[in-house]
Amino acid sequence: MTSTATPQRASRRRSRLRTRNTLLGWSFILPNFLGFATLTLVPVIVLFYMSLTNWNIFGSSQFIGFDNFVRLASDGSFRTAFVNTIYYSVLHIPLTIIVSLGLALLLNNKIRGVAFFRTAAFFPYITSIVAIALVWNLLFSPDYGPINEILRFFGISNPPGWLTSADWSMPAVVIISTWKDMGYYMVLFLAALQTVPRELHEAARMDGANVFQRFTNVTLPSLRPTMFFVTVMLTINSLKIFDLILVLTDGGPGQSTTVISQFIYRKGFEENDFGYASAASVVLFFLCIIVTIVQFAWNQRKSAR
Amino acid sequence: MKRIIIATAGIAVGALALAGCSSGGNSSGDGVAEDGSLTLTLSGWSVDTTPEFQLLADAYHEKNPDVTVEITDYDPTDYNTLVTADLAAGKGPDIITQKEVKYVTTFQEGGQLLDVSDVELPEGIGGVESYEVDGTAYAVPYRQDSWVLYYNQALFDQAGVDYPDGSWTWDDYDAAAEELTSALDGAKGTFQHSWQSTLQGFANSQNDADILAGDYGYMKPYYERVLALQDDGAQESFNTVTANQLTYQGEFGTQKAAMLPMGSWFVATLIAQQSAGEADDFEWGIAPIPQLDDSTTGTDATPVTFGDPTGFGINANINEDKVDAAKDFLAFAASEEAATDLAEIGITPALLTDPVVEAYFAVEGSPQDELSSFAVQTHETRPENPTSNKTAAVQNILNDMHSAILSESQGVDDAISEAEERVANEVGLD
Repeated sequence: MTSTATPQRASRRRSRLRTRNTLLGWSFILPNFLGFATLTLVPVIVLFYMSLTNWNIFGSSQFIGFDNFVRLASDGSFRTAFVNTIYYSVLHIPLTIIVSLGLALLLNNKIRGVAFFRTAAFFPYITSIVAIALVWNLLFSPDYGPINEILRFFGISNPPGWLTSADWSMPAVVIISTWKDMGYYMVLFLAALQTVPRELHEAARMDGANVFQRFTNVTLPSLRPTMFFVTVMLTINSLKIFDLILVLTDGGPGQSTTVISQFIYRKGFEENDFGYASAASVVLFFLCIIVTIVQFAWNQRKSAR
Repeated sequence: MKRIIIATAGIAVGALALAGCSSGGNSSGDGVAEDGSLTLTLSGWSVDTTPEFQLLADAYHEKNPDVTVEITDYDPTDYNTLVTADLAAGKGPDIITQKEVKYVTTFQEGGQLLDVSDVELPEGIGGVESYEVDGTAYAVPYRQDSWVLYYNQALFDQAGVDYPDGSWTWDDYDAAAEELTSALDGAKGTFQHSWQSTLQGFANSQNDADILAGDYGYMKPYYERVLALQDDGAQESFNTVTANQLTYQGEFGTQKAAMLPMGSWFVATLIAQQSAGEADDFEWGIAPIPQLDDSTTGTDATPVTFGDPTGFGINANINEDKVDAAKDFLAFAASEEAATDLAEIGITPALLTDPVVEAYFAVEGSPQDELSSFAVQTHETRPENPTSNKTAAVQNILNDMHSAILSESQGVDDAISEAEERVANEVGLD
């Protein structure tokens, strides 16, 4: 009797233990998951449904299949917003990486007042966007702004109109957003630079490598995980740029700085066309996902080598 | 086991707290007491600096002690979004103030507004048609601003230029702006704010144009005029106004510009700023806005200008017992009595009878000349925007056109034909 009961009881105890552990595990993540589900997951799922309807916020909505997406494909404004978003990203991502990495390399040296400079470079990141927009609008003012005064001083008789010119508004926005973001990414690069093994640099120096060779062959490869993280974050943030442009130019002059997020905002909150705005959000969502997947795949192939 | 119980209890408490968050709040069905007294809620914005809501609420309560009007204060910049969200959640106020006409159709098509066609309105009240959809009224105007020309008499005297006399077309205005600029040291002839209304509003109303028709060639002369003025330095350029975030209150109030086309709401602001010392102390007057041609000029004609009313609608989900009281409040807000009260605090009521205009100009610091009272009282004010579900989308496109032209990023013809194409393709024509 006892010989058969013992293994049974043991297995029952094991399964009880497993249930208990599973329940405990779930209970640990549940509070966080509840928040995530109610504030993110469910709204995103609802968004997908809304993109297939003609919902205008009040009352019931009609299911219209992929009509919104067909309309997007032939919408000139959406195309402009899409191109502008890519234009912004293509300028902003490399520029921010170069500037923030350059700053990190510079402030990784033991120079006098390094803590002050690091703090100073980080400040724009924590400054209010509205304040940034106000001040930069004044700096870039075409007739009275200090930037054009300086350009005129150096003999450029016809300086650009910056935020008030359709050709220069996007480059101006990129300059401002790079200035704003560089501090944050600099901190990430600074942290990563601390992890580059000193011995590698010493060995390279023994082999006669100059500063540039040491940078490309030792520093850069050691920074690869951080570089990957920075690129992914920067890409997603660039694709969904919104607030800065809204307060700086409101998408103008004309449509020269209208980006996808602003298109969504206009259609949804200004024109109450929430179904259509949701469809544009879904496009932006997939754009972010696809670019990120490509980056992950590329990184994995690089790591495998 | 004990730990599981604790964890489960914790989760249960959390879930209850979450559930508690979502079930609070009042629905618009409340507010009827057993003794028959009622509380109506009314949506407003910036109650501290916008006294009209409290004024109307108090005046109505005085006449009807059984009814209390409570104001729900919203943020002014996101007013329509916030009210929309509250209405969609079924928690909107009983009386919905219509801040911008372009949202009326959104509320109406969404079934949020009660038919108020049976509210009796005094004869001659302006802005009524802005709230009508297919002949049915969905709100009642109590205030109607219209655009006039402000001018600084001291600067005109200094430059030796004659005051506007009500006979001006835009050509006269341009000539005066140029003359003032060259005669004055440092001040510009005029200031035109960067909003699309400050140009398109006049073009639409004086050409009796429908922006939904998708043809904007009539705006060309207006744009060419303004471009010429900014190129000649007779007004601050659009680019400087936007880049330096110039305010019209600052430019006119501190005498940097001798003229200012602006809505009648600025009367109260200017008086307040002059008495508070925020604006310089100078004599000023109001003239009718310059006209397209001389068929509507002169004090024996009726000048054409534009302006949208502000009005009250009733929440379609209001408690049935409160409907009569709410309609009575709407009728009161549109009445001569309320209009006089509003005029006394410098607000332009939708009803402009003689006693109302008298009250309007009795405010200390307001101009006393005849032309000013003519300009405030006599005008054909056409709606700035048609009441349609396409208005917001068309306006956004026209705003892009406005910034492209005035920033001189695009030629007038190109920008206009691009806007026409966009309206046809993206919004569709009626």
